[in-house]
Amino acid sequence: MPIDFSRTDQDDVSTLRIAGTLDVNTAPQLAPVIDKLVDDRRSRVVVDLSGLDLIDSSGVAALVALYKRSRVHGGQVTVTGARDQPLAIFKLLRMDRVFSA
Amino acid sequence: MSAASVIRLTSPCSLRHRALAVRLVAEACRLARDEQAPRDERSAGYDLHDPFDTALVSAFGEIYNNIVLHAYGRREDATIEIVIDVGPGSLTLEIRDTGIAFDLGAVPEPDLDALPEGGMGLHIARAMLDEVAYEPGPPNLWRLTKRHESASPPPSTR
Repeated sequence: MPIDFSRTDQDDVSTLRIAGTLDVNTAPQLAPVIDKLVDDRRSRVVVDLSGLDLIDSSGVAALVALYKRSRVHGGQVTVTGARDQPLAIFKLLRMDRVFSA
Repeated sequence: MSAASVIRLTSPCSLRHRALAVRLVAEACRLARDEQAPRDERSAGYDLHDPFDTALVSAFGEIYNNIVLHAYGRREDATIEIVIDVGPGSLTLEIRDTGIAFDLGAVPEPDLDALPEGGMGLHIARAMLDEVAYEPGPPNLWRLTKRHESASPPPSTR
């Protein structure tokens, strides 16, 4: 399954839903959405990964970039819904402590 | 318990062919666990509930990325040979490439507290598998092994 993603804004919270596969092939497709979220200086971004089946280190790097760049302007990024392989990768890389709400 | 079996794939080595190779490894994991059929034959997605599958698919994907991006530098005429030894309750992947060799021992562990945006691939492979071995070539050879938790440990060599 390739990647599927969407952004919805409600008040000061943006929700970025990512489903399918986030890897070296699909992470570049997500880059413009991440750029826009950072440029819009959203104060809170919730990344919903409940539909994500597979992630690799390139995908993790894309989410870390979102987290770091948002933090520069005081934005908060949290990840919800990670399961199975993506959850195992987050725990291994200790990203769960960074992204937890 | 079924007898060990070997699966071979020789493929162009590019990011375009990555999903093909990853899918093959994911399906081989099911065979190693002696699963009769995928949970949902119609699903186009990955079904990585089992930590055994998660470990092998994750590690293989990272090694594949390394070979495409670093060993071959995205060269277009690159090929990769993948040999999957599906044992009872274990799986060994042998991956051969003819790209630039490197020193596995010289690759540092990433500083996870610094939230790195790179250098995590080998850490993922090493942490999730029972064995990650590399022999510089040509051809360069990666050997990745994972035993299923319910399988008996291998005989002690001591």
